[in-house]
Amino acid sequence: MSTVASRRSLPAEDHLPEKGRGATPRKRRSRSDPDSVTPSRRKIPKSHGLCDACNSPDSPLRENLPRLPVRKRLFDNVVERPVWNPADVEQVRVVNEALHVSTAPKIAVCRENEQSMILDFCKKCVKQEKAGSMYISGCPGTGKSLSVEIVKETLVNWANEEQIQPPDILSMNCMFHAQTTEIFSKVLRKHCPQKETNFSKLPQQLLHDLYSQKLALDVKMILVIVDELDYLITQDRTMLQDLFMLTTLPFSRCILLGIANAIDLANRFMPKLQCLNCKPAVITFRSYYKDQIIKILKDRLRALPYTVFQPQAIELCAGRVAAASGDMRKALSICRSAIGMLEDEIRESIHSENLSSTGKNGNQQKSADFDWLTSQVNNLVRIDHVAASLSKTFKSPAVDTIRSLPQHQQIILCSAVKLFRAGKKDTTVGELNKFYRDVCKTTSIPPVSIMELSKIGRLHELMSTNLFSGNHRTRTIARRKQKTSSIKSRFSRHCFCFAGNSLLSQLSAVNFQEA
Amino acid sequence: MAETPKTKKSKASSNKTPNLKQSISPPTPQISTTTNTTAPRRSLRLTSATPKKFQQSAVTTPKIRQNDPLSSPTTISLAPASPQLTESKRKRKTENGKNEGFETKRASRNVDKNARNESGRKRVYYKKVVYDGGEFSAGDDVYVKRREDAASDDEDPVVEECRVCFKPVGKRIMIECDECLNGYHLKCLKPPTKEVPEGSWICNYCEARKSGKKVELPDPPKGKKRARTAREKLISSDLWAAHIESLWKDVDGTYWFRARWYVIPEETSVGRQPHNLRRELYLTNDFADVEMESVIRHCFVMNPKEFSKADNEGDDVFLCEYEYNIHWHSFKRIAEIDNNEDDGGGVDSGDDWNSCDDSESDTEEDMEYDIESRHRLLSGPSPAHSLAANSRKGQIYGLQKIGTKTIPEHVRCRKQTDLERAKAMLLLATLPKSLTCRDKEMNEITTFIKDAICDEQCLGRCLYIHGVPGTGKTVSVLAVMRNLRSEVDAGSIRPYCFVEINGLKLASPESVYSVIYEGLSGHKVGWKKALNFLTERFSGENQCWKEDSKPCVLLIDELDLLVTRNQSVLYNILDWPTKPNSKLIVIGIANTMDLPEKLLPRISSRMGIQRLCFGPYNYQQLQEIISSRLKGIYAFEEYAVEFASRKVAAVSGDARRALEICRRAAEIADYRAKSLPLSNSNTAVIVGMGDVEAAIKEMFQAPHIQVIRSCSKLSKIFLAAMVHELYKTGMGETTFEKMAVTVSCFCSSNGELFPGYDTLLKVGCKLGECRILLCESGAKHKLQKLQLNYPSDDVTFALKDSKDLPWLAKYL
Repeated sequence: MSTVASRRSLPAEDHLPEKGRGATPRKRRSRSDPDSVTPSRRKIPKSHGLCDACNSPDSPLRENLPRLPVRKRLFDNVVERPVWNPADVEQVRVVNEALHVSTAPKIAVCRENEQSMILDFCKKCVKQEKAGSMYISGCPGTGKSLSVEIVKETLVNWANEEQIQPPDILSMNCMFHAQTTEIFSKVLRKHCPQKETNFSKLPQQLLHDLYSQKLALDVKMILVIVDELDYLITQDRTMLQDLFMLTTLPFSRCILLGIANAIDLANRFMPKLQCLNCKPAVITFRSYYKDQIIKILKDRLRALPYTVFQPQAIELCAGRVAAASGDMRKALSICRSAIGMLEDEIRESIHSENLSSTGKNGNQQKSADFDWLTSQVNNLVRIDHVAASLSKTFKSPAVDTIRSLPQHQQIILCSAVKLFRAGKKDTTVGELNKFYRDVCKTTSIPPVSIMELSKIGRLHELMSTNLFSGNHRTRTIARRKQKTSSIKSRFSRHCFCFAGNSLLSQLSAVNFQEA
Repeated sequence: MAETPKTKKSKASSNKTPNLKQSISPPTPQISTTTNTTAPRRSLRLTSATPKKFQQSAVTTPKIRQNDPLSSPTTISLAPASPQLTESKRKRKTENGKNEGFETKRASRNVDKNARNESGRKRVYYKKVVYDGGEFSAGDDVYVKRREDAASDDEDPVVEECRVCFKPVGKRIMIECDECLNGYHLKCLKPPTKEVPEGSWICNYCEARKSGKKVELPDPPKGKKRARTAREKLISSDLWAAHIESLWKDVDGTYWFRARWYVIPEETSVGRQPHNLRRELYLTNDFADVEMESVIRHCFVMNPKEFSKADNEGDDVFLCEYEYNIHWHSFKRIAEIDNNEDDGGGVDSGDDWNSCDDSESDTEEDMEYDIESRHRLLSGPSPAHSLAANSRKGQIYGLQKIGTKTIPEHVRCRKQTDLERAKAMLLLATLPKSLTCRDKEMNEITTFIKDAICDEQCLGRCLYIHGVPGTGKTVSVLAVMRNLRSEVDAGSIRPYCFVEINGLKLASPESVYSVIYEGLSGHKVGWKKALNFLTERFSGENQCWKEDSKPCVLLIDELDLLVTRNQSVLYNILDWPTKPNSKLIVIGIANTMDLPEKLLPRISSRMGIQRLCFGPYNYQQLQEIISSRLKGIYAFEEYAVEFASRKVAAVSGDARRALEICRRAAEIADYRAKSLPLSNSNTAVIVGMGDVEAAIKEMFQAPHIQVIRSCSKLSKIFLAAMVHELYKTGMGETTFEKMAVTVSCFCSSNGELFPGYDTLLKVGCKLGECRILLCESGAKHKLQKLQLNYPSDDVTFALKDSKDLPWLAKYL
C-alpha cells in the first residue's frame, strides 16, 4: 500500500518546489506592505490560467465537463483490479484504516494550489529572513491543518536542500491550551530555551523586546503555526493583535500561520492591524467540490490493491456531502459506515445462506445492469449502502423521535400545532392545557394533570427535541400575561412540514376526526 | 520470649525445645494436627458471619497492642464474652513432626497454642497464637491456601533461584527486575555487573520483549522443575493473602482466625492498571473466618513509605496503598493512621515475634520467610498474562465473590413473602440480572466497541447516544462493558481501559481531564497538567505511553454538561480519536437529540456520524422489563403489570417511573396484607389492579388539589372569589381591589365576618407563595395583580364539596 502511495507522491512533490521556484520572481516586497503587488488577499484563483491541468476544476461552470472522463476512469479502475473480499477481516481492517480520519495522506490532493501558496509564502520569508503573517480560513474538514502540516515538512526539506538554515517550527492548537498567553511563552522558550524566564515581565513583552532589538538577528527564524486561531479572541482582542504585531516589529523573526474557520477573522482586525503596518495574507480553503471529494476518496483507495466501492457509490457520497457541507471528515465516515453496512449484510447473507441457499436471485436481479460484474458486484459497496448511510447521517432525527413519542406527548404536540396554525406566535401552558383537554375530551382519553403537562414540556426542552422552548414560571410580573411560561414552538415550522406527511395527518385522524 | 530471637534457636534445636513463655498457663489439651497435605481440608472460606461483638473485638485488638507496648510480649486473650480475662496462661509447645531433614520445615508441624483450661464452650479469643511452628498474631499478614486439592500446593515454596543459572541465591548478590520480578545473579547478567544499579532496573529479557522481539528465557536444567515461590503463587492467584483481624479457638478446639482479604490488581473490577506495581495488593473490605490450618506463613504487606524503605526485605514483601471496596468497586487510599496499626507487621521491632524479620536468624523453624541479607531474591517466570488470565483462574474457587457485583444484602437475605421480594426487586437500586428490550441497541454498542478494539491498530471513534431519561442508556452501555469485560477475562479479546465519567459529578467541565488522567494512570493531577499529559498520550508523542497503550474506552454520561463557553473541552475530547495513535473510543450520552448540531461545526465535524437513539419504551417493553425483574416471584397479577406499564407508556415511557409505580403498588398490597386479621394471613395477597390504580393516583395526582382542599377558610373564599371573578369578566387576571370587593360581598351575603383588607392581602400573598396564585409583590397593595396558576376547573373541583363552606358551591 505504501509503495503505491509513495510512487504517486513523488511527482507531486517534485512538482511543488518547481512551482515554488517558478513563483519566486513574483515581486516580493515587505510582508506588511499594503501596496504590494502580490495580492495580499489571495483567493483561490478563479481564472483557469493558474489552474493546473492536473487539478480538478475549480469553477462550478466547468464542473459538468470532466464528469464523463472521470466516470470512464472509474470504470477502468474496476476492470483493472480485483474486487475485494469483505468477508476477509484483514482486508476490511486495511480499508477501514485507509478511510480513517487519523491516517493522513502523504499529499493533500486537490489542495495543490493552496499548498504552493503557503509554501511560497514561507519560502519567501525564510529566504529573506523576514517576518510575515498569513491567515488560513475555511470550513471544517477542508484540509487546512493537513496542508499546513505537509507544507511544514516540505519547507524543512527544501531548506536543507537549499542549504538555508531551516526555521524552528512551533505548531500548536489553541484549544489544547488552558491559557491563551501560553503561546507567547512557548515561542519564547523556543527562541531561547536555556534562558530562565523572567517573571517580572509578561512573555509577550519579552518577545516584543526581543524583536525590537537588533540582537534578534542572531536568533533562528521561527515558523509558528496556530491552529484554531479564533480561540484567541478575547474580550479586548489584544491577544490576537499582539500575536500579529509580533510579525511587524523591525527585527521580528517570526512567520505566523494562523488557521481558523471564520473567513473574516483577519478582516475584523484589519483596521487596527493596517495602521500597524501589518496585513496578513489570506488564503481561503473552499469546501470541496464533488469531483474533489471523489478524487480524494479514490486517492485514498488507490493505495489498496483491490476495488472496494462501486464508482457510482463514491459519486453519490461525494455529491451529497459536497452539497451539504463539503466536509471531508463526513465523507470519510459515511464511506466507513457504508462498509460496515456491507459487512453486516454479508454476515447476514452468509447466515441465511446456511439456512437456505436460494436467496441469491434477488441480488442478481438488482445488479442486472452489471452483468459482467455479477459475480463480484455483491462484494462491492454499492449505491444502496452509501444511500443508507447518507440518509442515516443527514436525516433529522426529529421525525423518528416524534413518531416514537408516547401517546400523550403526541397529543400535546398536536394541540400545540393546532394552536400555532391559528397564527399565534407563542402561547401559555394554561392555554395549551385547555386545547389539550379539548382534544382528550373528544377522544375520551383521560387527560393528564397540568403539572404533568408542564413536566412534559420541560422534558421536551431537556431533550431538545426542540418542540417547545420556554421559560418556566417566570417570576417577573411583566411576564405574567403569559401565564406560567411562554411556549414557543420553535419547531412549529417543522411541525408544519410534517403536517402533510404521515405523523400529523395520522394523529389528526386519530385525534380530531374521531370526534 | 525473653531471649532475643537472634540467639535463641537454631532450626534443628527449636523443634525440640519447648518455647516457654514467661507467662504460665495451666496445661491445655494439645491439639496436634498432623500435616498431611493430601488430607481433605475444610472449606477455606466460611461465609458464616461472626456476631457483631466479635467483630468489635477484632477491630480493637490491634489498638490495644499499640497503646500498651509492654503487654505485647505476653499473650493477651481478648474474650469479651468470658469474664476470666486475667487468668494466666501458658504456652506450650510440643513437637509433633519427625523429619527435620525434610527440605521444607513446615512439614513438621508443631502445634503451640494459647489455650485456656476453661470449659471451652465458648470461643476463646487470643492475641497471638503459635500454630504450626509460626507465631501468628492479630494484625499480621499471612498467605492462605486457596484450593483444597491444588497440586501446586503440594510442592512447598522454595527459596528463589536465579533465572539464568537456576542456582539458589547463595552468597552472591541477586537483583530483581522491576518488570518481571525475576531474580538474576549479578554475575549471570550479560554483561556481568558488580554494582547494584541505581534506580529501577529492567532485565535484558524484558527490554527485548518491550522492543517487540520474542524472547526465550533459558530453560531449567533437565530434571529440575522450576518451583514457584509463595509470592509468585500469590501473584498468579494461587494463594490468598489475608490480614488477620482476630484469632480464636472454636468450641471444638480448632483454631480460627478472621481474615480480611487482600486482592491482587487482576482481581479487582478494573483489572491490572499500568500504574500498578507488580507487588501491589489491595486491602478489601471482605472478611471471612478461616481455619488456622490453611495458613501457610507470614507475608508482609506494607504501606508505600515502608515499602520504599524495605529495599532488602525479601520476597514476601508487598505494597498496599489502597483499600478496595468489593461492593462498590471503589478504591480508597488507606489513611496513615491505619498503616501504623495494620501494616506494621514487619516493622514493629518492639514485638519479639516480629523482630526476627530483619535479622539473619529465624524464629522456630520457619526458615522460608526469613530474610537473608541479599538484595532481592526472586525468580520465576513473569506472571504477567497478556490476556489477564489471572482473574479467570480465581473464579473457580469462589473468587468471583471479589470483583464481581454482589446482590445487595437486603435482596439476598431471608425473604418470607413474595411481596417483600418483589418490592426489593423493583427498587431502582437493584441491578436487573439481565437487560431486556434493548438488545438491538446493545448489539450496536457491542459491535461498535468490538470493531474498534479488535483491530490491531485501534482506530479512534465516537458514538453519541441520546434519549429521554429513564430509557436505559447508561445501563445498557454498562451492561455491554460488563459483557466485554468477561470476554477479556476469558481471553477472547484484548484488554482495554475503561473510564466512566458522569458530567454531573464533575466540579467543572475542565476537571474531566484530571478524572480521565486519573482513570488511566492512577495519579491525580491538576486539569491543566492532565490536559498536557493526555494530549501527549493520545497524539502519540510521548514514547513511554506507547508501550502499554491499551485501547481506551471513555464513557461520558451527560455529555451536554461539558459544553463550555468556547467548547474547548468537547473539542479536545473529540479531537483525540482523530489522532493517529490515540486508540481512544469515546461514547457520549446525553438527553438532547441534536447536541452535535448545536455545537460548533468544527466539533460536530470531528464527532463523526455515529448516533444511537434510545426511544421511550412502549408498553410491551415496560411490561417485559417489570416481569423480567419479577421472574419467579408470584406477586403481581398480570393485568396489574400491564395496566401500570400502559399508563406510564402513554405519558412518558420512563422505565424508572413504571418501576416506582409497581413498587408502590406492592407496598400498598403489603400494607393491605398486614392489616388483614391473622386468620386470613395464610392466603397470599397479590398485587391487583386496585393497588396499581391507587399507586398511580398517588403518583400522578397533582398536589394542588390537596393543597386547595386543606387550606384555610378565608383562602378558600378568596380562591372562590377568584374563580367567580374569572367567570364574570372572562379575564385571566384581576386586581386585588376587585377581589376584595368580591370577597366582602361573599362574606356579607353568607354571614361570614369580613376580615379586613390587611388580612386579606396577607392571605393573597400566602397563596401567591404557594404558587396557587401568581401575584405581584405585596407592595402594590390595592393595585396588585392576581391570577390563578391552575386551571379554574381544578379549583372548582377542589372547592365544590368543602364541608365547612357549603355555600361556596353556588358561586362556582
